[in-house]
Amino acid sequence: MAVTDTPTASVQRVAAADDTAPMVTIRGVSKAYGSNEVLRDIDLTVNKSEVVCLIGPSGSGKSTLLRCINFLEVYDRGEIRIEGQLVGYSETTPRRRLSNAELRGLRRNVGMVFQQFNLWPHMTALENVAEALVQVRGLDKIAAAERARLMLARVGLADKADSYPSRLSGGQQQRVAIARVIAMEPHLMLFDEPTSALDPELVGEVLQVMRDLAAEGMTMVVVTHEMGFAANVADRVAFLDRGRIAAFGPPRQVFHESPEPRLTQFLQTYHERNSF
Amino acid sequence: MDSNLLVQYGPALLRGFGVTILCWAAGCAIGLALGFVLMLLRRIEVKPLRWIIRAYIEVIRGTPFLIQLFLLYSGGPAIGLRLEATTAGILGLGVYGSAYFAEIFRAGYQAVPKGQVEAALSLGMPYGGILRRVILPGMLVSTIPALVNMMAILTKETVVLSIITVPELMYEMQTMAAETFASFETILGMALFYWLLVEAVSRLGRRLETRMTRFLSHPSNARA
Amino acid sequence: MKFSVIVDALPHLLGAAVTTIWISLLGVLLGQVIGVLVCVARQSGNRGLDMAGGVYVSFFRGVPLLIQLLLIYYMLPLIGIDVPPLVAAISALSLASGAYVSEIYRGSLNAVPHGQSEAALALGFSSATIWTRILLPQAFRFSVPALVNELILLLKASSLISVVGVAELTRTSQTISASNFRPLEIYLAAGVIYLAINSALALFGTLVERRLQQG
Repeated sequence: MAVTDTPTASVQRVAAADDTAPMVTIRGVSKAYGSNEVLRDIDLTVNKSEVVCLIGPSGSGKSTLLRCINFLEVYDRGEIRIEGQLVGYSETTPRRRLSNAELRGLRRNVGMVFQQFNLWPHMTALENVAEALVQVRGLDKIAAAERARLMLARVGLADKADSYPSRLSGGQQQRVAIARVIAMEPHLMLFDEPTSALDPELVGEVLQVMRDLAAEGMTMVVVTHEMGFAANVADRVAFLDRGRIAAFGPPRQVFHESPEPRLTQFLQTYHERNSF
Repeated sequence: MDSNLLVQYGPALLRGFGVTILCWAAGCAIGLALGFVLMLLRRIEVKPLRWIIRAYIEVIRGTPFLIQLFLLYSGGPAIGLRLEATTAGILGLGVYGSAYFAEIFRAGYQAVPKGQVEAALSLGMPYGGILRRVILPGMLVSTIPALVNMMAILTKETVVLSIITVPELMYEMQTMAAETFASFETILGMALFYWLLVEAVSRLGRRLETRMTRFLSHPSNARA
Repeated sequence: MKFSVIVDALPHLLGAAVTTIWISLLGVLLGQVIGVLVCVARQSGNRGLDMAGGVYVSFFRGVPLLIQLLLIYYMLPLIGIDVPPLVAAISALSLASGAYVSEIYRGSLNAVPHGQSEAALALGFSSATIWTRILLPQAFRFSVPALVNELILLLKASSLISVVGVAELTRTSQTISASNFRPLEIYLAAGVIYLAINSALALFGTLVERRLQQG
């Protein structure tokens, strides 16, 4: 293919150069499984170094929305852009869905942390972190291992480098998964209910790592049921209900001043659960 | 059996055993490779291709191995496919095994948790790398019992090759039985021999299985 | 390829296919009886019976069917029983099938919750009643799909009895192709017949399974 200065390329360059440009822009995104609309006309902007939490009842579409951002889930209408680059589709009209191979360039800059950790069970913690450094960043094995060790130290697991995932607690596994992502130096991190599969006493260690990342200026989109984390760490909170963003704004505003009845009801269940 | 017989027929039996092992090993290798390729091709989203592979698997699994061998060995020349007995035997064993191996691999592929692949995709890993480093090792663990079982079955199927005159152990043994008129004793010996052989293959497989899944075992973290 | 060759041979092949079917059915039925007996022996709690059953299963699953067949074929005359090849063939198929069937039943029995036997014992049932009224009926239900599969396997395996001269489908194909020198056409036709029978059986198995799941 001949290298030409396409409009897309120049847009990207401008966007990358501009620090005030948003990290993620979501415009009119919709998705349906048959007649079941899981996302309806979603608009959302995430600025650089911002932490946005997505909250809402189960089935509200928050995880689906998050998974659309790195195109693990296909959205039907609207557009999602990361640093100006369209996610999942070509810039042509009519647009063409991109293959996994074509999405690699985008995905290497967008890290994702899953509810079920999704570590590779046949690799040690160190190997889990080093794998993508070799395959995607092109580091040699020694450099990758060195960097992986550094990352494990950052999440407080330097001494677990040679353990297989089955030998680690859930909290430790999730921290390895985070190390695996930050080793890639992503511009944006997506968290899909990162503490939901954990025993209550292990939630804190994972949230602490996430707090540290936020403090360092990482741009994060977090689907969570941890309202305390959303209230204290998020810059803005989006409440999703039946595929729509029903409330959006700074945490104080969403948690205390929103007139939305569904949100009040949703928060009520949390208050009840936590008061005993 | 008296020792004169062993002296007389020993070399032939040994040679036969060598042919048995050769047919088995080559048949397994072809079957595994072909089965794996079939499984991969079946994942491509092209309908006619999927139908063809599905039909291939159903036909192989729905007909007796012996009929497949006859078709290949006796029917082959009619379409210009002239194979020596041993070649036909190895090829037949490979084709026969490939259909079963393809199904085992398919189940194994589906058994790899989707999240492990998604994690790799979200890191920007290339499909080849994901296949090699994430899917294959995961598959291996869950498919080893079935693969070993199938390989043990193929060990047994090698004796069928004697029917198309492949000079493997069973064939040599039958020659010996016919010449010595000691059919029953020879066959009994052969039965015991194969019993041990199949048992050994299965044992070896189980050992391999425990070895390869060691990293999964943790008392507080049992994974099926 | 000459299609007329197949047309000419078809009546013979279909007749032989019927032989294949009834031999296999008989093999599976006798295999059932052997299988249940072996299974009960292994679950009886008697160590001697358990071990004998275990050796039986291991032998008939470990030794290639062709060798089992020849073993029986040559053994029966030695112990003074002079039987036609057909009987030797059916014996071999039944004995092999019995080993597999007993394993199928063992798996199914293990799927019956242990509490049910305990409940029956507590009510004063005899162990024979527990077997016939509680364990076996359920084990049978659990095992129907596996048994249909066993019939398919036996149908394919029955091609091996051609070596002792039983005129079933494979043997008949050999005979015909030896006389008309058209092995390709004849074996293709035989393959299609086997495939058709097995596909019908598989379909039947799916239907029965669905039926059992509903009721």
